[in-house]
Amino acid sequence: MKAGAIVFRKEMREILRDRRTLIAIGLAALATPLVLFVISQVSTRTVAQAYTVGYTGTMPAGLDVLFNATGLNLKLVDDPAEAAKQQVDIGIVFSDKGLDEYYDPTRQSAQIADIRLQAILSKYDAAKVAASLQAKGVDPSVLNPLPVSVHPLSSPAQAAGNSFLSFFLPYILITMSLTGGLSAALDTSAGERERKTLESLLLTPAPRGNILIGKILAVSVISLVAAIAAITSMLIALSQISFGVSQGEPAHIGLSPLAAGVMIWLAVLLAASFASLTIALGTLARNFRQGQAYATPLYFITIFPASIVLFIPDFNPSLAYYLIPILNAVLVLRDVIVHGTVAWTALAVTTLSLVVTGAVCFYAALRLFTREALLVRS
Amino acid sequence: MEAAVRVDRLEKTLGPNKVLRGISLEARSGEIFGLLGPNGAGKTTTLRVICTLLGPDAGSVDVLGFDTRTQPEEVRRRVGVVTAEIGVYPRLSARENIAYFAELSGILDGEVSRRVDTVIERLDMGSFAKQRAESLSSGQKQKVAIARAIVHDPPVLMFDEPTSNLDVLASREIRDFMVESKGRGKCVIFSTHVLHDAERLCDRVTIIHEGRVVAGGPTAEVRGRYQDLEDAFLSLVEAAR
Repeated sequence: MKAGAIVFRKEMREILRDRRTLIAIGLAALATPLVLFVISQVSTRTVAQAYTVGYTGTMPAGLDVLFNATGLNLKLVDDPAEAAKQQVDIGIVFSDKGLDEYYDPTRQSAQIADIRLQAILSKYDAAKVAASLQAKGVDPSVLNPLPVSVHPLSSPAQAAGNSFLSFFLPYILITMSLTGGLSAALDTSAGERERKTLESLLLTPAPRGNILIGKILAVSVISLVAAIAAITSMLIALSQISFGVSQGEPAHIGLSPLAAGVMIWLAVLLAASFASLTIALGTLARNFRQGQAYATPLYFITIFPASIVLFIPDFNPSLAYYLIPILNAVLVLRDVIVHGTVAWTALAVTTLSLVVTGAVCFYAALRLFTREALLVRS
Repeated sequence: MEAAVRVDRLEKTLGPNKVLRGISLEARSGEIFGLLGPNGAGKTTTLRVICTLLGPDAGSVDVLGFDTRTQPEEVRRRVGVVTAEIGVYPRLSARENIAYFAELSGILDGEVSRRVDTVIERLDMGSFAKQRAESLSSGQKQKVAIARAIVHDPPVLMFDEPTSNLDVLASREIRDFMVESKGRGKCVIFSTHVLHDAERLCDRVTIIHEGRVVAGGPTAEVRGRYQDLEDAFLSLVEAAR
């Protein structure tokens, strides 16, 4: 294994002198907080933003107060239906029969203004009905025969934060485990061939399997560093962003020590598998550019499982699903972030699956690395 | 004199092409052995089989008594190869490039630095040893390629068209190095299609054409009645068609 250690040291030295890899890691670490900051600013602005309601007709007394309190500015217009197309966010016509609302569902501002309007009208209706009943000596509570008290078992703000994290964290972990070391993997495989150094390397008495192990280890370390750097910067950014209010205090997202431990373990397994896979693909390629073309489909493979959590948040699969590489890592991370506990059987199946995947990728890389065609094809 | 490299009825097919069709030759320690032939004759494939990068389909190759098929790692310890393709690791210095190959060749940790210093001095590389390889000239890179091939002091040295990408001065240095290595008792195998170089340097030559040996022996003997080796070569190749 000494040869593996020698190759590892040399590859690390080269990688650390390669601006492409360092810039990719640095950009990922900087871009994540930047994206989160933009998202939080946009969502904060959306909550605080006032929308305009164009109206005509006589407004019922007291309704204007509710409009102003809910961030809806009233504006008198000639034709509310026409104005709602562009001039205002929604249009209202007050008449003897009631109220006609006009809005364009393709406009996000119209959708938000509509939601606010419905909330105002519900409150207004309830207040008017209650006042009428009271005037007739009837207890308004007759309208609510089954009073409901809601008792959330966890903070809704915290739940929203966990939901956010259960998508973003696996996504960043998987994406960075792949892309963080991709440049290094292609450089050490396809690049070695392109630079014409491969033949000299294979002329040394070092066993080829050991050479390959050294290369895979180096790429794995870089992938791991990239993934952890991106996630750390994301968590730091999230600690500065408030996700609503919990028990009177601004709610921030954090990762529990258990979730952090599981995440690092999965990152190690993913990094080793991706390193073997990308080196195998790079060994197939004749040059760096061709290697990039071979590796491009991997982006889709990694994005798809992470998207499942986004589109099917309550996806509760059987244990067999944890045999599917990458998807299993996403599911385990989601479970530990959302529920705060680890399903140890699922984690064991996931570990087994990823170890087998890594071993298969290593075997494929070794087969490719030791075949004569590697040197004969120019 | 005992042969350092012995190739016996070697056959090799690459893809659809039968490249070697029963090549036999012997190269000895303390001589420069020329492997001559036109492009595509099978010179590079022969060298690649000798140094274990490719396996033989039929026939056998042994280097200093080690069979390339059964003891490839022992063979690689005893062989150094310099090719026209002077690929180096661009982000490593010249010295780091050489040290990497020294370590992979199994030189003991305490010995690596001394061995690297020795080859740097021998090839007069001191002025650029600490420079990154990406900033070196072709001639300097070729020196790095030679240095990494000899840093483990192999008894067999193979040069495959080593001067084809070099200028006159750098080519001259390579030729001088081959003569110096011969003087040190090394078995030097020189593959080239530049017959003028071969005639000046080689003690014995083998001419191959389309995967077959068409002539072999001491250089003067192969040249025979012709004015120079080039005339002899053209005549032999023509006769083989």
